[in-house]
Amino acid sequence: MAFSVALHPAFLLVVLSLKTSRSEVLGEPFQLTPEILTVSTESKLQQVNLQWTVPNLTHQELKMAFQIEISRINTSNIVWVENYSTTVKWNQLLHWNWKSEIPLECVTHFIRIRAMVDDAKYLPQNSWSNWSSWKEVSVQVSVAPNTLLIFPDNKLLEEGSNVTICLLYGQYLYNVSCMLQKEPIHGEQLDSHVSLIKLNNVVFHSVSGTNIHCKAMNATKMIFGTVLFVSKVLEEPKNFSCETQDFKTLKCSWEPGVDTALVWSQQDSQSYTLYESFSGRRELCDHRNSHNWQITDDSQETYNFTLTTENNLRKRSVNLIFNLTHRVHQKAPHDVTLENIDARKANMTWKVLSRGNNYILLCQIELQHEREVIHEHNVSVHMSASYLFSDLEPDTKYKARVRCADANHFWKWSDWAQKEFCTPEAAPSQALDVWRQVRSENGSYVVTLFWKPLLKSQANGKIVSYNIVVENQDRLSESEHYSVPAPALGTQLSLDPCSYKIHITANNSVGVSPESVMVLSNDSGHEEVHEKRIKGTKDGFHISWEPTSGDALGYVVDWCVHSRDQHCDLQWKNLGPNTTSTNITSGAFKPGVRYNFRIFEKSMQQKAQLLEKQTGYTQELAPLENPEVTINNFTSNSFILSWPSYDSDFQSAFIEGYHVYLKSKEMQCHPKGKRMTLPDYWVLCEYEIKDPEQKAFTVENLRPESHYEFLVTPYTSAGQGPNETFTKVMTPDENSNMLLKIILPMTLCVLLIIIACYWKSQWVKEKCYPDIPNPYKSSILSLIKSKKNAHLIMNVKDCIPDVLEVINKVEGPKTQCIVSGNPHNEDVSMKPPSSVPTEDGSSGSVPFFFFENFTYDQSAFDSGSHGLIPGPLKDTPCQLGLLTPPEKLLNVLEKDYMKSLAESPTEETSLIYVSQLASPMGGDKDSLATNPPMPGHCSEYKMQMAVPGRLPSLALSENNSLTSEILLGQGEQ
Amino acid sequence: MDLRAGDSWGMLACLCTVLWHLPAVPALNRTGDPGPGPSIQKTYDLTRYLEHQLRSLAGTYLNYLGPPFNEPDFNPPRLGAETLPRATVNLEVWRSLNDKLRLTQNYEAYSHLLCYLRGLNRQAATAELRRSLAHFCTSLQGLLGSIAGVMAALGYPLPQPLPGTEPAWAPGPAHSDFLQKMDDFWLLKELQTWLWRSAKDFNRLKKKMQPPAASVTLHLEAHGF
Repeated sequence: MAFSVALHPAFLLVVLSLKTSRSEVLGEPFQLTPEILTVSTESKLQQVNLQWTVPNLTHQELKMAFQIEISRINTSNIVWVENYSTTVKWNQLLHWNWKSEIPLECVTHFIRIRAMVDDAKYLPQNSWSNWSSWKEVSVQVSVAPNTLLIFPDNKLLEEGSNVTICLLYGQYLYNVSCMLQKEPIHGEQLDSHVSLIKLNNVVFHSVSGTNIHCKAMNATKMIFGTVLFVSKVLEEPKNFSCETQDFKTLKCSWEPGVDTALVWSQQDSQSYTLYESFSGRRELCDHRNSHNWQITDDSQETYNFTLTTENNLRKRSVNLIFNLTHRVHQKAPHDVTLENIDARKANMTWKVLSRGNNYILLCQIELQHEREVIHEHNVSVHMSASYLFSDLEPDTKYKARVRCADANHFWKWSDWAQKEFCTPEAAPSQALDVWRQVRSENGSYVVTLFWKPLLKSQANGKIVSYNIVVENQDRLSESEHYSVPAPALGTQLSLDPCSYKIHITANNSVGVSPESVMVLSNDSGHEEVHEKRIKGTKDGFHISWEPTSGDALGYVVDWCVHSRDQHCDLQWKNLGPNTTSTNITSGAFKPGVRYNFRIFEKSMQQKAQLLEKQTGYTQELAPLENPEVTINNFTSNSFILSWPSYDSDFQSAFIEGYHVYLKSKEMQCHPKGKRMTLPDYWVLCEYEIKDPEQKAFTVENLRPESHYEFLVTPYTSAGQGPNETFTKVMTPDENSNMLLKIILPMTLCVLLIIIACYWKSQWVKEKCYPDIPNPYKSSILSLIKSKKNAHLIMNVKDCIPDVLEVINKVEGPKTQCIVSGNPHNEDVSMKPPSSVPTEDGSSGSVPFFFFENFTYDQSAFDSGSHGLIPGPLKDTPCQLGLLTPPEKLLNVLEKDYMKSLAESPTEETSLIYVSQLASPMGGDKDSLATNPPMPGHCSEYKMQMAVPGRLPSLALSENNSLTSEILLGQGEQ
Repeated sequence: MDLRAGDSWGMLACLCTVLWHLPAVPALNRTGDPGPGPSIQKTYDLTRYLEHQLRSLAGTYLNYLGPPFNEPDFNPPRLGAETLPRATVNLEVWRSLNDKLRLTQNYEAYSHLLCYLRGLNRQAATAELRRSLAHFCTSLQGLLGSIAGVMAALGYPLPQPLPGTEPAWAPGPAHSDFLQKMDDFWLLKELQTWLWRSAKDFNRLKKKMQPPAASVTLHLEAHGF
């Protein structure tokens, strides 16, 4: 056993050496095990660098394949296997690197390698060599307690890529939550101290980076974080092109795409580099989107450019190869002029930059009018050229422009060179479209001429005026000229009733248009033709007519746009001789408006004869209003309703008839009517009048003294008029007419008598019952006068009374008097005034008592001033306070006084009521007039004063206030 | 209004008294040296203006840094910003500061902060932000000059920067950009706190330097009523 153990290694060595020598000799494959020299890391790049050699390599060069395995955390967890083939030289140091998706600080990696000869010179080898031993790859970091380390730090990556964030927890730290900017992110726990957060498809947030920040639950104040610098993806330059204008500089331009710059020194804006392969020149571009490349070698015709853009993460290139002569961007033509401009044509000349006698340019010419290209033409040009624009419009602004390009190798048009010009005016080319309206007024024609404005292409300039020549056909020598300044489109002429030929032309500054002729005959405007009703559509009317003669020059259809208005706005349409119908359309047509069309036939002599009248609506509407109905022949059992006719132009449709509605209680309808029963025993009778010309309706069989209600409404094809309130009527009594016939004359007679009596009342009074017989006026006086005895009649003034007879004796010296108190105070004090001024200024010692009379005296109130009230003397022998104006007062007083004398009410009372005017100052009224009562306080109450019958008297005090005074005895007077 | 002869005499006497005392009011005595008062007032005004200016600048800059730096409740510990001059101080300590020390601390703080602030400008991506920062730096330079003026008026020497202590804005290659953002946050925060503190400092100094004549004026005003 021991022998066999000792023999075994020796045997193997022999076998191996034999095998090796046999392989070398036979050229067969053999196994070479690689040997790892170093394994280094680049933490920021998360990169593992492997260096190895192939010992025992005896060949100078040998093509070999290597297989590298990487495992994570432990050797059995293989995460990466890669085959790498290369030609190995003798004693060569081989390199390979690998980028880890997980930061190397976070987990330990292991790496090993094996090899296989893969050279065609040798037999194919199917088996790998032995693996090298595992090498551990780790980046040592120490995490302090209560600290969190986040890897990678300051990572630069491209938008859309994936990244794995790794968190290394220090001691005592747990429950860590992380946020990406504002979004929470979650990871997987790798072990108790490491967790990984995978971020897929990261997006760009800001040039200042994307913040990832974490907090631990047990150390909330601590913030740990890292910044991911997410760069936008570098874009390939677009539309890269180069061109020259002068063969000295090539201007290369492109669209650069987004700027991928980031701050914090992470990444600058991408750079652009131009490389030309034939010259081998490389230039860093001075702008992001263009670069001027100086042409240094005139002989170089072909250029091969490579434009490269680059940032920290990526590089992109575009290539462009071209012949210089094919990339010539011609400069804009110069010295553009327009010559010999007239109303219809103009000549344009221009010059171009030429590069030799054989150099031909293609030029494009454009003529624009109001920004619209109306003419385009291409011409070949050597040095200079000209082009004639024809068919131009007079009095029109044009813009002529030209651009050129290389005719042999078209690359790009040059910029435009342009010039504006305006053609002069020309005489109007077209006759005016004219029409007329004729009406008779006071035995003469009023002819209104209308014409349509010429189109710009017809006017050929600004129309200044319109000339009208009126030729009298009956008296050929007579013609009148009128000039109507533009922009008028019509004029009115007053002509004698003759035949006329009217010539109308339009003038501009250059000349006159062809004339338009119209002939008016004697009967123009008086033609009577039948009016036909037509039915329009919402688009307009279809008008057709029957031609009367075969030699018509044409037809004219006219109508008013505003048939309801004063301003008719006459429209017309000229039609050819073979036309017998036309469609009239207008946006101005409105539903419910009647349009009247007249069709004229124009004869060869330019005379227009009215053929037809047609009228219709685009859309008929129900009537908008009901007629105003009047009632005639109103009797107790019938009345007639009548209404005026509508103006046809104001009808919203053709009126087909009327409906008459009659409403009453318990009414019998006429057999022709339609009866309908309404609530509350009301009956409605509907009568239809089918003749629109019938404008009256007799309502019969009515009951006297009954209420009836009626409504008259027209109807059209679109419906009837508005449902308005019914008009109410009441039939009269059967005898009421009779009574009216008797009573009215009687009343008139009585009134006349009353007026006559009133008129002669004074006379009658004086004659029949005078108040006091006036002896001077007595008829007897005439007899006395005749006897010439003037003293026959006694004068009262001349009498001195001897005895004053007391008719009634009052007990006690009581005097009743009403003194004017506060006129507005109904609670007049019963307290008498302490003193009452008398005529001589002393206070009377006679006691007064007061009472009130609440009778409202309207006459005093109405008089508007204070005054004595002419009340009945039997109640008011003594009155104070209320005043009337002096002039009224006199009359009143006079009457009262006279009345008091006449009506002495001694039988009824123990007191004698004495008028204030029965004053001791004088008994005649003349003396009263000299002392009128002055206004005092106003009162609306009658104040009365009762004076003891024995000594009744009143006087006016000096200060014009009314004061009652007791006269102690007439005898003392 | 009812004025009697006695009142008129009283008012005239009062007016005369005021006129008699007018030369004693320093504010009206133009012949004398105004002292450091106006320049302290100007410095105080400048701090208030800078406070206002910083408010808008900080908003823009913190938005530029992104979340969480622009969140209102973000209050990280002051870890990496140890080199920044600290504005917060114990109230008793602050009260016990003499004028010279008070002014010196202000001057030194703004010298450092200005230097750091200029570093921010290099980080700013947008032209507008760079312009705002440059404008603020100019204003802060003005404040520094103003403080120097007050110190000179009071006869205090300007603090000399010690060799080697010049603050430098040179984050090492290993320095995390997140911590750098944190430093920026703290720079703006300290700047704001310093401006608040300076306003208090100069207000205190202003009151202290106010001439005693003000009391005479008040006395006269009281008489007037």
